[in-house]
Amino acid sequence: MENKIDFEQLAHETRILTGFTNAHETLLIEAAPDITPHLVHVTEAFYKILHTLPKAQPFLDGRLEALKKAHLNWLESLFTGPFDADFAQGMYHVGMVHVRVKLPVEFMQGAGTLILSELISVAKEVYQDDAQRQADIIRAINGVIGFSVTIMQESYQASSLAEELDKFLAITGMSRTLFNNLALAYEN
Amino acid sequence: MRSDLLTNVLSELNGASADIEASAVISTDGLMMAAQLPSGLDEDRVGAMGAAMLSLGDRTAQELSRGKLEQVLIKGDSGYVLMTHAGSEAVLSVLAKSEARLGLIFLDVKRAAESIAKLV
Repeated sequence: MENKIDFEQLAHETRILTGFTNAHETLLIEAAPDITPHLVHVTEAFYKILHTLPKAQPFLDGRLEALKKAHLNWLESLFTGPFDADFAQGMYHVGMVHVRVKLPVEFMQGAGTLILSELISVAKEVYQDDAQRQADIIRAINGVIGFSVTIMQESYQASSLAEELDKFLAITGMSRTLFNNLALAYEN
Repeated sequence: MRSDLLTNVLSELNGASADIEASAVISTDGLMMAAQLPSGLDEDRVGAMGAAMLSLGDRTAQELSRGKLEQVLIKGDSGYVLMTHAGSEAVLSVLAKSEARLGLIFLDVKRAAESIAKLV
């Protein structure tokens, strides 16, 4: 499924949709030396909250350290860029992995909000003496989180459609080739 | 070559009854193999739709314990569409007039399907 997607286009459209601009990207990269040392605490805070949710336990048990490491790597990538087709493909793949482990979509959406909240706290603390900088960085963080989560959601939607199609084919007995030929015949 | 032979079978079938308006041999994947269709009918759509209907008919017969599928018959107020397997790789689809005597058509279609099965 992933190899059929134009990730350059996806990245471009998602940037517009989430208001994530080149200026935001520059700000995030500039802020990296200030923010990055705090990211480990963001990851810890995030998983501490997840631990309070019984529904989250099956996704954490036995792989917490690996998850934390991957999470921290992702957080760091939010301050390095570039937020191009490769980044979009990476986010889409993360979404696919979440789908594969059957992580409910609301977990991913909720996690985006939690992480945003934690990062805003970090930005407020780091730039407490520069209100303008603080506001600019918070906007940029909001943009990059929205950008990432929106792309991950895209893979949820695609997976959900693929799952529905698989069910339809299994019920009707149609082969995928027949379905594709049928779709092609009615393309125009 | 094979296409010519299939077209011959279809021509013979269409000539066997004035009630048969068109016929086509379709792969089970929905691709047209040979056709005697009136102009205005899209071969790709006829092919894909015919194979899809037969596939659904197969599954319906199976689910409702009707045994191995012999044919799918669709009746509209302008006529009939009859689909049947022609071997394991092909589908014979026939369009007939609304006043067609189905018994005779069933026989002709069965014979044609047997001939096609030997060719595909």
